[in-house]
Amino acid sequence: MMDIVPARFAMAGTTGREMKIEFAPELEAFRAEVAEFFATAPTPAIREAGRKTTSVFAPFKECMEWHRILYDKGWVAPHWPEEYGGTGWSVEQRFIFAEEYRKADLPPLLPQSLGMVGPLLIDIGTQEQKDRYLPGILNGDDFWAQGYSEPNSGSDLASLSCRAEPDGDDYIINGSKIWTTYAHHANRMFMLVRTSTEGKKQQGITFLLLDRIDYPGMEIRPIVGLDGFPEQCEVFFEDVRVPQSGRVGEENDGWSVAKHLLKHERGGGNAASPTLMRYCERARAAAEKTPSPFGGMLADDAVFQREIGELEADIASLGHFEKLAISGHEIARDPAFPSMNKTINSELVQRASVLMTQVSGVDGLARQLEALRVGSNVEPLGSEFDLVSMPLYLNSRATTIYAGSNEVQRDLIARTVSGS
Amino acid sequence: MDFSFTDEQQMLRDGVGKFLEKSYDFDTRQKLVNSDAPWSADAWQQFAEFGLLALPFSEEQGGLGGSISDCVAFAELFGKHLVIEPYLGSVMLAGSALAQSGHAAAQEWVEKIVSGEAVAAFAFEEGHGTASPELVAMTAQGSGDSARLTGEKRLVHAGGDADAIVVLAKKGEGGPLAFYLVEAGADGLDARAYTTIDGRSAANITFTDVAATELGTSEEAVEKLISEAIIVQSAEAVGAMGALVAMTGEYAHTRKQFGVPIATFQAVAHRLADMKIAYTKARATLIYTTALAESGAATPRDIAILKGQIGKLGRAVGEAAIQTHGGVGMTDELSVSHYHKRLLACDTTFGDHAYHFRKVGMG
Repeated sequence: MMDIVPARFAMAGTTGREMKIEFAPELEAFRAEVAEFFATAPTPAIREAGRKTTSVFAPFKECMEWHRILYDKGWVAPHWPEEYGGTGWSVEQRFIFAEEYRKADLPPLLPQSLGMVGPLLIDIGTQEQKDRYLPGILNGDDFWAQGYSEPNSGSDLASLSCRAEPDGDDYIINGSKIWTTYAHHANRMFMLVRTSTEGKKQQGITFLLLDRIDYPGMEIRPIVGLDGFPEQCEVFFEDVRVPQSGRVGEENDGWSVAKHLLKHERGGGNAASPTLMRYCERARAAAEKTPSPFGGMLADDAVFQREIGELEADIASLGHFEKLAISGHEIARDPAFPSMNKTINSELVQRASVLMTQVSGVDGLARQLEALRVGSNVEPLGSEFDLVSMPLYLNSRATTIYAGSNEVQRDLIARTVSGS
Repeated sequence: MDFSFTDEQQMLRDGVGKFLEKSYDFDTRQKLVNSDAPWSADAWQQFAEFGLLALPFSEEQGGLGGSISDCVAFAELFGKHLVIEPYLGSVMLAGSALAQSGHAAAQEWVEKIVSGEAVAAFAFEEGHGTASPELVAMTAQGSGDSARLTGEKRLVHAGGDADAIVVLAKKGEGGPLAFYLVEAGADGLDARAYTTIDGRSAANITFTDVAATELGTSEEAVEKLISEAIIVQSAEAVGAMGALVAMTGEYAHTRKQFGVPIATFQAVAHRLADMKIAYTKARATLIYTTALAESGAATPRDIAILKGQIGKLGRAVGEAAIQTHGGVGMTDELSVSHYHKRLLACDTTFGDHAYHFRKVGMG
C-alpha cells in the first residue's frame, strides 16, 4: 500500500499553516486598548441605552451618538473592507472587539445602514452611489430604513406590489410598505418596488435607494408593538417622484440584488453570540439573588443549571459558527449558511429571553415603559434585569418572523439537503 | 487565522478516505462485526502503514509528533465509515498514558503500539456516570513496580483482546489519580467480553489483587488525555452525523409517497433542515474546540460544551434520520441504525450531554 505519511511529520519543525488560534501578547495589548476605550468613551446616556436595549434595535438617539464616537475612533465598521473605512483587523482582533463590546453592555449599532445597504453598495453599487452614500453611512449622519415587506407580502416577498412607474428620469411610486423598522427615525430608505408584472413575480422587481424619506406624497406611521414601543412603521406612497439614479442594479433585476443583500441581513456582518452570552450572564447573576421555590438560590438549582448550561452550549456553538465564518472557513460558503445562521441566532434570542423571564418571574409582569426610557427619572420597581427581561422576551417573538420567517428559512435549508 | 485543514492534513484525509471507501464499505464492516474477530487485523496494519498509530507520539518515542487537529482530520472519516478498530482506546488513551510515563516498560509498549504489533486497552469507566476522572473510585495498594489492583472496570474497549491494559485508579485511599500498567493474562484478571451496540469489542474486567506497575501521572495530564479523547471521539461523531444528513437527504429525495418525493412535505423538509443545522453546529464546535486545544487554550468548560453538544445533537440527528427513513430505518440491514448506535455510544461515554450541560451551567 502507498505511503501517505505527510512530509511534515517526517521532518521535525516544518509546520506551515496550522489550525491554531493565536493569543499573542500584542493581541492582549489590543484587548486592553479596546476595553479602555469602552470604559471611557461612552457617555452615561449611551451606557444606560445599552443596559435598556430590549430589541435588536437599540434606543435610537443614544445609539447614533455611540455610532459617531466609534466612527471618530475609526472602529465603526470592522466587517467592511479597509479601503472603504473598515479597520483592517485580523479575525482574532474582531473576536476580541466583539467580546469586549459585550462585556461593556453597550448598545449594538443598528444593522440597516452598516450591515445591509453599506456592504451592498460596496459590492454592487455604482461609483456615484458609493461616493454619495457610504460616507454618511459610516459617520452616522444618515440612517437608512429598509422597505421590503408589504401588508400582503411577508414570507412571499416576491409577490410585492408597491409600484414604480418610469417617468422620464424618475420613477413614480404608489403603494405601501410595512414593518419598516425605525422609519420614523430614518432620513433615507432602500426599498423593493414592482416595475413590471410580466413573467415570474421575481422578474419585475427593482431595488431603489431613496435619497430622502420626506418626499412629497410619503407618509410614515409608527406601529406600537406588543412590548409597548413604536419600533416598526408603515410607509405610504402616493405619486412619490424619485430619481432613477437611485436604482441599484438593473431595472427588474432587484430580486437578485435583494438576495445579495439578504446574505448580509441573515448573517456575516455582526456576531450575535456575544450578546446572547451576555443575556445568560445577566440571567445567571439575577438567579444568584433569586430564591428557588425548592429552597436555596435559583442559581444552585440543578434544573436551572442544566437549562442555562444547555443554552450556553448552544450559544457557544453559534459563536464557533460565526467565528469560522469570519475566518472564511468553507462552512460559511454553504449556500444554506445565511439561512442557518438566521435560524440558529433567532431561536437562541428567544430561548435566552424565555430564561430571563423565568428568572424574573412575577417581577417581570409590571408594565414599566417610562422607567425603560433612557434618561427617565422614574425608578424601576425591581432590578434593572427585571425591567428589561419581559420587554426583551416580547420583542424577541419577532426574531423568527422577520428577515424571512424561520419556516421559509427551513424550506431553503432543506433544499440543500435533499435537492428537492 | 485559518480553521481549515492544512495541506498535509488534507493529504492524510484523502489517503485514509480512499482506503476506507475501498476496503471498509458498510457490507464489509457488517461482515466484520458479525465475525468472531474483534476487529480487522488488516485494517489495523493499514492504519499502522498510514502512520496513524504513530501520529500522536513524539519523535523520540518513534512517533510522528502529530497534533490533535491531525487526529481530528482522519477521525471524522472513522465516523463516516463506522470504523470499529480500537484507535481511541489503544492509541489516544492507553498509548498516550504510557507515553507520558518515564518507565522503561511503558516505553516498550509504546513502541509496540506504534508498530501495530500490540494493542493496549484503557480501563477507565466504572459504571453509571464515570463522567469525569475525579469520579474514579478504584484504589491501588502498594506502589512502584509492586502495586496491586482490586475492583471492577466496565466498557473497556478491546479489554478482552488487548496485550496490555492501562488502568486509571487512585494511589491509595484518598490519594491522587495514577495510571497502572497490567499485562494481559495477569493473575486475578477476569474479563467478560461482549460486543457493544456500535459493533466494538469490549469487556467488563474484574481485578482481584492483580499485579500492576505504577506509571505515575498528574491530574492535568489525565484531564488533557481525556479531553483529547473526547475531541477525537467528537470528530467521529461529526463524521457519522454528516453521513446521516447526506443519506437522509438523498432518501427523502428519492422515496415517493402520495406520488411525490417525501422531501416535498414541509414537515419532512423542516426535519431535514434541523438535521443540517444540528450537524453544522456540531461541526463548528468541533473545529473551533480543536483549534483551541491545539493552542493549549481549551478550558474544561470548552470541552464540556463540545461533549454536551455532540451528545445532544448527534442523538437528535440519528433519531431524525430513523424517523425520515421510516420502517427501513428500523432495520439492522441499513446503515442508518448503526450510525445512530455509534452516536448513542459517543453521547454515553465520558459523561452524557445532561452531565456536561449541567457542568456548563454551574459556571
